[in-house]
Amino acid sequence: MKNALHKAIAILAVSALVISCSKDDNEVITGTGNLGIEFDNAFGTNDLILNTQANTTSNNEVLKISNIKYIISNIVLTKEDGTIFTYPKSESYFIIDEADPTSVVAELENVPAGNYTKVKFGIGVDQAQWELGATGQGDLATRAQAAGMLWSWSAGYKFVVFEGTFTSATVTDSTPFMVHTGQTATDYNYTEVTLDLPTKAMVRTTISPEIHVVSDVSKIIDGTYKIKLSDNNMGGMGAMIMGGTNLPLITANLNGMFTVAHVHND
Amino acid sequence: MKTKQLLLLILPLFVSCSNDSDDTYQNIPLEFKVPSNFPPPTYNFAANPLTEKGFELGKKLFYDGRLASDGIVSCGFCHEQANAFTHHGHTLSHGVGNGVGTRNTPSIQNLGYQTSFMYDGATTHLDLQPIIPFTNPVEMNGDFTKAITMMKADASYQKLFKIAFANGQINAENMLKALGQFMVSITSSNSRFDKYRRHETGGTLTETELKGFAVFNAKCTSCHATDLMTDNSFRNNGLAVNQAINDVGRYKVTLLAVDKYAFKVPSLRNIAKTAPYMHDGRFGTLEAVLNHYATGVENSATLDPLLKQNQKLGIALSETDKIQLIAFLETVTDTEYLTNKRFSEY
Ligand code: HEC
Ligand code: HEC
Repeated sequence: MKNALHKAIAILAVSALVISCSKDDNEVITGTGNLGIEFDNAFGTNDLILNTQANTTSNNEVLKISNIKYIISNIVLTKEDGTIFTYPKSESYFIIDEADPTSVVAELENVPAGNYTKVKFGIGVDQAQWELGATGQGDLATRAQAAGMLWSWSAGYKFVVFEGTFTSATVTDSTPFMVHTGQTATDYNYTEVTLDLPTKAMVRTTISPEIHVVSDVSKIIDGTYKIKLSDNNMGGMGAMIMGGTNLPLITANLNGMFTVAHVHND
Repeated sequence: MKTKQLLLLILPLFVSCSNDSDDTYQNIPLEFKVPSNFPPPTYNFAANPLTEKGFELGKKLFYDGRLASDGIVSCGFCHEQANAFTHHGHTLSHGVGNGVGTRNTPSIQNLGYQTSFMYDGATTHLDLQPIIPFTNPVEMNGDFTKAITMMKADASYQKLFKIAFANGQINAENMLKALGQFMVSITSSNSRFDKYRRHETGGTLTETELKGFAVFNAKCTSCHATDLMTDNSFRNNGLAVNQAINDVGRYKVTLLAVDKYAFKVPSLRNIAKTAPYMHDGRFGTLEAVLNHYATGVENSATLDPLLKQNQKLGIALSETDKIQLIAFLETVTDTEYLTNKRFSEY
């Protein structure tokens, strides 16, 4: 009897502890914190090395890449309970530039504390923003011009810049290529990707997780749609893809370019 | 202790008082009046509400050569008010370092009714349009970072941005919105022709002018439609290709074969003030323009069908038609707009 009472008390005590523990847990998840999304550019399974490294596509074209830049926007985070946090649109524009190491992490501030399981972002500047004109763009034009991402002749933005030189069976001399996507009169060329996180990103006032995204830039021309630079080598001057029917295909390819490798919670 | 508390209470009052002076946002709405003879505007006023101070800032920016790489070429350098904001005497524009562009400077008037800008419609939003001349190496060759730095160090810009925008920030967004507010406010609606259309005093047209209006209605309004004299479309009006430039027009934007050599149908308002004419400024006089339509139209795959009706190229115009047309076109000159101090540099 005494024993049983002791047991009961012990159980009560333990369960009280458990309850209060889990309660404590709940209480910790308040406030806001920071979250970083790192864009780690790769070519296939290799890390991307600018200028010097030769990279081969499935079409047996050999690329040396001098520039890879893209505009990230409209970042939306989903919590484990399904609630959604939309990062303020006008602050969501990040220009990722492989040549500028300070640019490759999109640093989000004032993110509500919580356990996040999904991230969604846009590549480019969306049509709703376009239709608003300058409203909501903040200093984007300034940053874009500094990064060479202003599509000046049409007062727009380059969404993706992918440049370098290439050779192939038919183009034996090293020849420049330039792929620029952005709005054209026929296609908007903005797209969004949603990525599941392999482990939760646990944003706390004291924890700033970093989502490590690998961006396989080979997918730009060598994804669902295969675009041969050699076929676009106009008059031997170089492969310049900045409009026309290839842009929507390249835009579709971007959906397969990003994967989340891991999440750091510290 | 007590006095300290009192001070703490009073201090914010002082602060807010001094804030109230010259340097806070002044939301003095600027009315956009749509003249009764104009079609509805296209500009999104909700996204960039017009205010008196936004207009003022936009005007300062428009006339400030310091935005350009040479410190001289402002928007107003090429867009001169007395010539309906065109560059008088220049066939092609020329900007910093005497760089020569490929197109003639069009007028700035009633832009809030247009659906696209530039001869090829390269952009569809008036607030974004300034990015094109501002960054173009042969126009202003400007750099946003430098321009923002210049303005942040300038007392009058510091003040103007604060009073023109609620967030007071000196950035590209507010710079572009101010330019948009200034440009959209530049209305030309008080020519003798407008007064005639609205049955207002001073709105009398002579017999010759009225006959010219009749010819215009019969032969020109299929493209130069409404009292704004444009249907906002892109068309090939049969100009011989200028091989020195080979400007493909709308094709540059759409890459559609049908758009080769198509250019935006320009408004003809204040046309007597905007010589030379056409996208490359090839015609020096209105007579030359009419002679083009009468006898100079070149056939091509993309020539507008309206200019080859009944197996005949161009528009039949007698010498009398031409005289009457020109007399009519001179009635759309709006002196009030050409001399309005609100739009001028000084
Ligand atoms: C070097 C001369 C030059 C300067 C400087 C210049 N412009 Fe222009 N502007 C032009 C020319 C030429 C065009 C037509 C270009 C085209 O069609 O591609 C034009 C077109 C425009 C249009 C389009 C009008 C229409 O009906 O489509 C607007 C609006 C305009 N400019 C505003 C500006 C503003 C604002 C600035 C200053 C930021 C500026 N311009 C500076 C020469 C100039
Ligand atoms: C088929 C459509 C069409 C018709 C019909 C037409 N125009 Fe035009 N007009 C245009 C286009 C397009 C341009 C601009 C072409 C360019 O700049 O290359 C233009 C340009 C002009 C210009 C020069 C404007 C400037 O600012 O440089 C004048 C003046 C003009 N038209 C007058 C007339 C008159 C008068 C008539 C009737 C006799 C007429 N047009 C009929 C399409 C048309």
